[in-house]
Amino acid sequence: MQPLEFSHYSDPLDLLRRFIQTPMKATYRLDGARVGVETNDCALLPELPVDADLTGPCALEWKLIRDADSPGFLEPPMFLTSATLTVVAMGTACLLGLDHETHKLFAFIGTDIDAPTFREYLVPFLCRLTKDALSGDPLGCFVSWSHNSAHV
Amino acid sequence: MSNDCHFFFAGNLCARFRGTVITIVSLTFAFNRQALPLQTDFYVAGAHCHLSTNSVDVLQSVWRWRGPNLVGSRSLEMEIIVDPRLDTAAKRPAYFRGSGHLVFGFLPPGSFVIYDLLRKYVRAVLSAEAARDDSFWKTLFIPITIGIVGTTVGVVPLHCACLERNGNGLLIAGDSGAGKSTLTAALTKRGLALISDDWTYFSKDQSTLVAHGLFSPIKLLPDAVQFFQELRELRPAISLNGEIAYEVDPARFVGSQVKNASRPSWIFFLERTSDPGCHFVCCPPASIRGFFEKNAERLPDELVDARAFRTTIIRTLSVLPSWILRTGESPQRTSEAIDHFILETKYATA
Repeated sequence: MQPLEFSHYSDPLDLLRRFIQTPMKATYRLDGARVGVETNDCALLPELPVDADLTGPCALEWKLIRDADSPGFLEPPMFLTSATLTVVAMGTACLLGLDHETHKLFAFIGTDIDAPTFREYLVPFLCRLTKDALSGDPLGCFVSWSHNSAHV
Repeated sequence: MSNDCHFFFAGNLCARFRGTVITIVSLTFAFNRQALPLQTDFYVAGAHCHLSTNSVDVLQSVWRWRGPNLVGSRSLEMEIIVDPRLDTAAKRPAYFRGSGHLVFGFLPPGSFVIYDLLRKYVRAVLSAEAARDDSFWKTLFIPITIGIVGTTVGVVPLHCACLERNGNGLLIAGDSGAGKSTLTAALTKRGLALISDDWTYFSKDQSTLVAHGLFSPIKLLPDAVQFFQELRELRPAISLNGEIAYEVDPARFVGSQVKNASRPSWIFFLERTSDPGCHFVCCPPASIRGFFEKNAERLPDELVDARAFRTTIIRTLSVLPSWILRTGESPQRTSEAIDHFILETKYATA
């Protein structure tokens, strides 16, 4: 099988990498809501309950982009929020943005983020963001962090 | 645990450390009117920005671009939170990524910026050091902001230099490595006023095209030292795109006049050749359109209006008198040839 060449993306007219192709797609069921996921790296398709019903729109869409030029490991998250957007920066290893009006979430994930880190940390984080966004409480995620932390 | 530590969750350690680390060092910023009590209006390259912030330093930094609050003409909302907790010790280079209408990224020192190109918002958290650093505003924040957002707010960035002779704007375009910046420096030494070096920002005033500059430095590659002896006193540094270059303040280095806008009259496309002499060849509008379209940033489907506006600007540019300039001469000799050529062209036209 031909390996996916996400490591070789280079377009001098797309320095922001807005046009990286994300051909792998799957649909999941998250607390009753359909969530579509597309990515350029099959390792970023999460191990969540797959939605068997292939009809109907998704409540929220994730676009997870493996970015070979985003080095390093996760850093402490910085949350920035407004009425329309939530952005979380965990260093250059993981940048994610959620538009509450278009119901689209995208994340750039560096190659140093391995499968356990993605599975055990980022996927729960994305799920929590998604649930909060769909419940109309985009700030819930931040409260959740404080709450969880206090009980560690 | 320090604020600049890197943590990496692996295996069983993940559950044990996750919450504690995040509580200690995570930062949360909420953008709302209450958090940003200070406001002002300013104008960059023809775009009207309404700024809200919590910092007097930010107000002072945009002072050079201040202007009247023209109600209803705003094209860009800018919200900036300054927080001294932002870490400036980690020397992270500028780093941006985007998807659709959203772009965000890190900007040194210690700052983070979000661009929403559909809603025409810029939101940023700046370190205290960045907020009061004149160089940060002049060479990073404002040029990057207009470069990313410009096309959606009526200002199109195009890859060319702009100079002015007697009220007439002269654009220097060409492929990377053709020598645009060294030629620009040579032209300013001949007394032409500098508007911009690497990037020029185009807007329309009624039906007239206006070329804007942002007072950015001229970037000269290390080999330019053979043409400008003054560079020997300076040290090249790594520039924003990773190139090693001299970044010189044109007013200090060249001592010539620096202006913020001009009305373009001519375009020269620079081509290096091994043959001696300077040769001017008429350039048809289709070639001009092709050049600028080919070199323009790709824009996503969400920004269809911005794409259409950029096409309009390029079409307007394409009807300007234009020449391909093939030169095998030094920047000084080439600048002399251009200066004589435009003088003769003006007389011929008159």
